[in-house]
Amino acid sequence: MIDQKIQALIKARKCTMLGVGPMSKNCIDAAIGAANDNQSTLMLIASRRQIDAESLGGGYVNNWCTQQFADYVSARDKRGHVLICRDHGGPWQNSSEFDHGLSARQAIRSAKESFKQDIHSGFDIIHIDTSVDPHGSPDPQVALDRLFELYEYCWNEARRAGREIAFEIGTEEQSGSTNTPEELDDLLFKVTEFCEKQKVPKPLFVVIQTGTKVLETQNVGSFDSPIRIPGDIPSEIQIPKMIEICNRHGILMKEHNGDYLSDHALQWHPRLGIHAANVAPEFGVTETRALIDILRKNQLTRFADEFLQIAFESGKWRKWMLPNSRATDIEKSIIAGHYVFSKESVKDIKMRASEVLAKKGINLEIYLQQAVTKAINRYMVAFRLMVAT
Amino acid sequence: MKQIATIILNRNLPATTDALCEHILKFDGDCTDVFVVEAGSDPGRLSKYVSWYADWPDARENGLRYFRGMNYGLSKLYESKNFDKYSAFFLLTNDAEFAAGPIVSPLLEVLSQHPRVGLLSPCSSQWGEQLLLQKEKTKYFWYIHNIAYLLRREFIESIMNESADPILDFLFDGNNFRGYGAEQEIIAKAYANDFAAAITDTVRVQENERHLIEHAELIRTDPYEKNLELYVEEGIRWMRKKYGFNSRWTMQQYVKSFYDNFFYFYPEYIQYKI
Repeated sequence: MIDQKIQALIKARKCTMLGVGPMSKNCIDAAIGAANDNQSTLMLIASRRQIDAESLGGGYVNNWCTQQFADYVSARDKRGHVLICRDHGGPWQNSSEFDHGLSARQAIRSAKESFKQDIHSGFDIIHIDTSVDPHGSPDPQVALDRLFELYEYCWNEARRAGREIAFEIGTEEQSGSTNTPEELDDLLFKVTEFCEKQKVPKPLFVVIQTGTKVLETQNVGSFDSPIRIPGDIPSEIQIPKMIEICNRHGILMKEHNGDYLSDHALQWHPRLGIHAANVAPEFGVTETRALIDILRKNQLTRFADEFLQIAFESGKWRKWMLPNSRATDIEKSIIAGHYVFSKESVKDIKMRASEVLAKKGINLEIYLQQAVTKAINRYMVAFRLMVAT
Repeated sequence: MKQIATIILNRNLPATTDALCEHILKFDGDCTDVFVVEAGSDPGRLSKYVSWYADWPDARENGLRYFRGMNYGLSKLYESKNFDKYSAFFLLTNDAEFAAGPIVSPLLEVLSQHPRVGLLSPCSSQWGEQLLLQKEKTKYFWYIHNIAYLLRREFIESIMNESADPILDFLFDGNNFRGYGAEQEIIAKAYANDFAAAITDTVRVQENERHLIEHAELIRTDPYEKNLELYVEEGIRWMRKKYGFNSRWTMQQYVKSFYDNFFYFYPEYIQYKI
């Protein structure tokens, strides 16, 4: 049913579906608002670092566990326009599985526990990504065996719970299993064969590398680049080829890392036949910038500086930096800002700032939500999910 | 009789150009003649292999760039009635680099194995396309961005404008000075005329961008970043004026429609479709 609903929607509206990373509570509210205001379906795509099962330690977004997140979204999504989705579920996708040095069996058990909570909490789409392994890039057959084991597990769990779910497979990582058209074709062939044999539905989405890559606050991939990116297949070749293969297998293609693409590049997504795209850190950065902006504009620079210091010290910017980066400490803090929104010290800063701003007639949380809504709307307009106003 | 005419474009880098000429003559001298187009070089910085010297004021000031330069070289061969002596033309900029060994003869061999290939490009180890050339070393593409093309004479003859302005219109559209989008146009013209455009991994080429970055002043061109900006801006303007296209993606879809059509009429080459 979810599969059919999404396929019908894309076919009818000639649109690209948008997956929004739930970077913060405000971001979640903005996405729910945008979907309901425009009567358009959006996907909230939670990674395991953002939201995970309570037994696995929850996540950094509002310190929520899976059930709390799903309950919150379900309660506010009055018209049912938001699909709750797991993004990059699978072994070692929660960093604690990495940090605790879990073995393959333990990591798969942990992934199953995470998926079980997703399914019981009412998640609609489950992305199984078995490309991560602390011992190096897994052998393609090992990754495939893990995928099949988890796929079957999730399907059986959903049936037991009387839940309806759709699947997403693949990864955008270079080490993943969808690097070349031949590899994608081979993966989809094997997955289809598995699904037919096990009598489970085929995946709704497969993640495809379309030439998008986010570093710092830019998209540095080939999609938006008029010149060659060394080692990449030019997007002029890659995208049509991958779409052709997906269409042949009857599986929708999903782009990850669509952040910071130009309006022009985004407007071409529906025309090129890109069925869905995920965007995440851009919305977190948007909220962080809006926070700094409103604080500085209202002579609350001290609060802004305190917040930036906490964000910088979190070190969460490190994985996003360009080689030989020239980013300033403030820019690094902005990249890491959304990771620390739920820290008590940051909540305290925001509470104190809110009190001052309220006296000036400014509702801080509404202001931040509006900034994120504007950023989400840029994608929705380009993807034909809403009409520009 | 040599089957190939190799045309190399130089602008003020005689040592680099001479080294490339000598490389080709050493390894492929038995199958190719080598010609050098001087794209407005300073009189004291000509290659010792100079064949034709574009020394008019605009060429001296701005150079010719790949497409005008190759139009000039090809039209000179045509004017001198030497054009139809060759079965193919290998068009190179002087920053093309190859491993020691034959280049032209392996490309010629590929051309003879693929009778409908009109445009052939060597692959580069820096290109992702090599991932698509693991089983078959040669495949047909709808997009090739390169500085080294081997063109079959019959393909050129099918689209050349021998009576038009030799610099601007002989084969390539020289109105697009820096050439963004012009590669796609020539590929569209190939498929529209029943010729394919292929990349082969039997020969590897590298573009040494160091020349452009480090010797921009000597070549008397814009700095690398500025050149890139102009390359895209001018190319987009050209696409809009000539085709009414406002995006490289429209151009891509235009070329791909001819590509797909080619395989409809030549299903025997389907194994070379990417």
